[in-house]
Amino acid sequence: MQITLTVNDIVRTLDVDPAETLMAVLRREGLFSVRYGSDSGETGAAAVLLDDRLVSSDVVLAAQADGHRVRTVEGLSAAREELDPVQAAFVATGGFQSGYSAGALILATHALLAENPSPSDDEIRDALSGVLDRETGYVKAVEAVKRAAAVLRGDTPEPFGPVVLPPLTDGTNPVPYQPGHTAPGVSTAVPRLIPSRDVPEMAVVGKPELKVDGIKLARGNPTFADDIELRGMLHCKVLRSPHAHARIVDIDDAKALALPGVHAVKHYKNTPRVMYASGGQSWPNPHPWDQVSFDNKVRHVGDRVAAVAAETPEIAAEACRLIDVTYEVLPFVLDEREASAPGVAPIHDEPDAVGIHDAERNIAIKIVAQTVTNDDLAAAFASADHVFEQTFRVHQVQQTPIEPHVAVAWLDEDERLILRTATQVPFHVRRIVAPLLGLSVKDIRVMKPRVGGGFGAKQEMLIEDIVGHLALATKRPVRLVLDREEEFVSSRTRHPQTLTYRTGVMNDGTLVAQELRVIANTGAYGTHGFTVQNVTGLRGLSSYNCPAKKFDCDVMYTNIPVPGAFRGYGAPQAEFALESHMEDIAHTLGREVIDFKRQNWVKVGDRQDIVMFLGERGTLDPGDVDPATFPPVMTSGIEECVAQGMRAIGWHRRDDPAWVAPPDRPHIRRGIGFAFCMHGTAIPFLDMGGCAIKMNDDGSFNVMSGAADLGTGADTVLGQIAAEVLGVPLEDIKMYTGDTDMTPFDVGAYASSTTYISGAAVKKAADQVRWRIKLRAARLLGVDEPCSIELRDRRAWAPDGRSVSLEDIALNSLHTEDHEQIMGTGSHVSPDCPPPFAAQFVEIEVDIETGQVTVVKMVMAVDCGVAINPITASGQVEGGMFQALGYAVCEEFAYDDTGRMVNAALGPYWIFRADDAPETEVFLVQTMEDSGPFGAKAVAEIPTDGVAPATRSAIVNATGVRIDQIPFTPERVRRALEAHQVG
Amino acid sequence: MTALIEYQRPSTIDDALSLLARPGAVVLAGGTVVNATERPAAALLVDLQGVGIDSIDVDGTVVRLGAMARLSAVASHPGLAQWIRDIARAELPSTLRTVATIGGTIATADWESALVAALLAVDATVTVQRAAGATSMAVAELLADRSGLAGGIITHVSVDARWNGVVHRTGRTTADRPIVACVAAAHPERGARTALTGVADTPVLVGDVDALEPPGDFRGSSTYRLHLARVLRQRALAELGA
Repeated sequence: MQITLTVNDIVRTLDVDPAETLMAVLRREGLFSVRYGSDSGETGAAAVLLDDRLVSSDVVLAAQADGHRVRTVEGLSAAREELDPVQAAFVATGGFQSGYSAGALILATHALLAENPSPSDDEIRDALSGVLDRETGYVKAVEAVKRAAAVLRGDTPEPFGPVVLPPLTDGTNPVPYQPGHTAPGVSTAVPRLIPSRDVPEMAVVGKPELKVDGIKLARGNPTFADDIELRGMLHCKVLRSPHAHARIVDIDDAKALALPGVHAVKHYKNTPRVMYASGGQSWPNPHPWDQVSFDNKVRHVGDRVAAVAAETPEIAAEACRLIDVTYEVLPFVLDEREASAPGVAPIHDEPDAVGIHDAERNIAIKIVAQTVTNDDLAAAFASADHVFEQTFRVHQVQQTPIEPHVAVAWLDEDERLILRTATQVPFHVRRIVAPLLGLSVKDIRVMKPRVGGGFGAKQEMLIEDIVGHLALATKRPVRLVLDREEEFVSSRTRHPQTLTYRTGVMNDGTLVAQELRVIANTGAYGTHGFTVQNVTGLRGLSSYNCPAKKFDCDVMYTNIPVPGAFRGYGAPQAEFALESHMEDIAHTLGREVIDFKRQNWVKVGDRQDIVMFLGERGTLDPGDVDPATFPPVMTSGIEECVAQGMRAIGWHRRDDPAWVAPPDRPHIRRGIGFAFCMHGTAIPFLDMGGCAIKMNDDGSFNVMSGAADLGTGADTVLGQIAAEVLGVPLEDIKMYTGDTDMTPFDVGAYASSTTYISGAAVKKAADQVRWRIKLRAARLLGVDEPCSIELRDRRAWAPDGRSVSLEDIALNSLHTEDHEQIMGTGSHVSPDCPPPFAAQFVEIEVDIETGQVTVVKMVMAVDCGVAINPITASGQVEGGMFQALGYAVCEEFAYDDTGRMVNAALGPYWIFRADDAPETEVFLVQTMEDSGPFGAKAVAEIPTDGVAPATRSAIVNATGVRIDQIPFTPERVRRALEAHQVG
Repeated sequence: MTALIEYQRPSTIDDALSLLARPGAVVLAGGTVVNATERPAAALLVDLQGVGIDSIDVDGTVVRLGAMARLSAVASHPGLAQWIRDIARAELPSTLRTVATIGGTIATADWESALVAALLAVDATVTVQRAAGATSMAVAELLADRSGLAGGIITHVSVDARWNGVVHRTGRTTADRPIVACVAAAHPERGARTALTGVADTPVLVGDVDALEPPGDFRGSSTYRLHLARVLRQRALAELGA
């Protein structure tokens, strides 16, 4: 049918199918700012203005819009690189991170401000309630709207940047808590920065620079994996298992292949069987290798059965329905505690899997790590005045990036395979996918465009082999986009675990022995099962000093959709159990919680012992390692973090009975909780990044890095490091990252490594370039000592104050004399893994009659070394806390009695919206970590660690009830309260 | 295979009714449910946006909501009491309340809809147009037997603006679709009524909580929902002063 739309003031007459959504038609018309997040309107990524109303265009038919006006973000500002006041406000505040939903956020702001020029915070949050954001926690988006409103009213707001606060401590020692202090009178979206005297003043590093990708994202430019159209592109759909566990007895694709428009069908009968592990990790991938592209067995509902490439997505979907599959249904198991029980069927009985610990009993991996022998551990427990044992259960949640997994494959003019994919690990994808496709690494180019969030879900070779097989089979470009349900049941999740701590403590509170036993659930495949559970052991046994430690873990196969990497990577599980366990010990011993934890937590100079016995390079025998070689903690700002956080949350209120049980609200109890957090920074001796930098005619630089910016601001931070070294503003640095043909190798975006590892590689490359510039500047200026030349303000300066511009140096080197391309390369791997530290505080209300827990405020004070960019760093903390809050209170995979997930949509699953997100406040406590670039440690993952235990701690404060299982959903909390006769 | 969908946008109720008489015909109001649900392979979508039933009119104490009035329009209409406007606003987020309609909300009668519970509590009257003529009935009556909607179109919902009301809800978060919500409403001449979500396959008027047999799911077992029904109903009535 024909429709007429006025799109961004231009009348367009279009032929559409009556079933097509407005989203599909707008994208087909090249308006790529309208982005796919779901088919149900629930993400809002496809929101547009329809006759000035903000609507999710994925639930509006194009036909319904016939005769109406549509506005997208492309229609807001016409001139090149121009931003309107709303777009500019979002860029200035860091109101979006990946920018996948930037258009929707900006249009929502326009819709609000057109009706209400001075909205309240609640009105802003309501206006943004339909645009889900998994990245920012909405804190800076709300700030952006307020800023845009001010500009449109004619005001000129102050530049957005951190507020500097004086330290409360000397940087090392605790100070007594002083009630009554008040926080600075600025918006809580503004990061609070507590500087360290050890950090020198810098020009670009440490400054609130605008994101280098901000303009293109705010303008809605086509920059994500799915934002391209290729001639003759085919669309892929995957046939997925309806059974939790079944053998495929036969598969018949004849009817599917006969359907007009179908070009290829791939399944176990026509695809080579090559074992692999899908986790995006360094070579060689840890065992087990238990996957093939298409198997004759399915191991969870949603597992791959076959894949179709066809002219349209609808034809591909119809072809999937026409594939006849004969299943022999097998018994299944979902709970890791039951996976070895008698009568449970082995999930991996294929003979060619590599490296399964005990396939018969569904034990994928066995991990044991200990700092002392078993005899010494037993003796240590025997010597303890008290031994505490406690078991915790943590559940399955998902990363849910708003951009789903997307991959497009095609053969280029050299008939090499190009994979344009939303990934965190382009180089690992290339290496892992090559043998599956029968290609060499050199035959493949993987390109990572902008990525709409990953959080670990995209640290996988998840779908690239499917489009690769189909592109090779059809010689046509093939595109696959997972829909939201597929994203839930076939991408990756966080490992459920059952964790048991046993801890020996002396009367004076000293820990003498600690053992952590974990039964972990890796679902249908091993992928990250080894490494995630290693981090559980590492984080679960690193925070507190103890002379005898042991970690013992069975990683079980079950028939749940597959766990993998999820921001925090085994640490949130461990730290929920550890912090809760330590708090309960403190209560039992009659100790104040922070005081007891402080007595035992690691401090500067303490050695990280268990780390030597874990991981791919770990050793099994405690006698093998000299304790003097255990890496020491070199920097810790934890006492300043604790002091700032206590003040911000109003810690003293937790001891006031009238505050805890407000007399005018009889069914409400209030509480404040605390958790100590410690994380790592990159994987020592393993995580590696490379960088190349070249100088251009105008004195600008191209920085080519293998790193993968997922919206985190990594490109910005890396650019700031280069700019600082080269003495230029950030705008003179052009970043290009994550392309296996065009950039050096990098392991990718995971393990809190990008700033620390990739940043150090950038710094090394920039140092080389700086030296070449100095040499030439010395010659041009007639200076004998090139070392004496300084670079700043786009010029090279001699000690006597004469200078030459970088442009003149570039022109001289490229065109005039002694010709040279000024360039440099660097690669970096670290022997260290300096821990960031943080103090997490949470304030809650519990409705003791219904069990509903409402989080009122979250405060995190974090020591991440020097925050290269305080805006992006605080944005990481805010967004991470909200993912952690979902883990703590609402998110949960639920299954029916056939093993099918019953809440595979964002509404029933529930991630926080702008209008139910609590207030947050972020403190960046500087320390100078000499091993990091310009003093930086990691910040990406530590915000996921403390919210669940701090929430539990707050529930204990509010009600006295201890709940050893998350999430704290209303019915679970109500049952616990009921069991303790509360409410 | 592209589904064989036909789309029609009639400009009168009569045209709409005759289209609806055809096989496979489905009413398309806003589309937040119909367009988000997998459709049968062949369907005729009858879009009511052109038939002129989207206005909200106040006549004395009665507010007459056109069935195609969007929830965003309901939420901002000054003729309605603030408490019911707030419930309309909370029904859907900002990107969907601008699409979904009051008529579609009633026709769908989602078991978790606090807005439908509010309409039940205030004893709203629904007007259904059929080829044979228009009939009016209480919302409760319509929900009790939705087969009565077949071949008809909800054209209006009428609400007596003199009802005062409150809602109490329990969810995983404050904006979560409530596990159970209770709307209590009081009328100067008719006393108090309560309606609940999350305790039956549609929102229901409840006089006696003990008579409920709620279905359970992962967010709330049957016994927990029954517990919430008691607590929230008691609170709502207490706040209402009834």
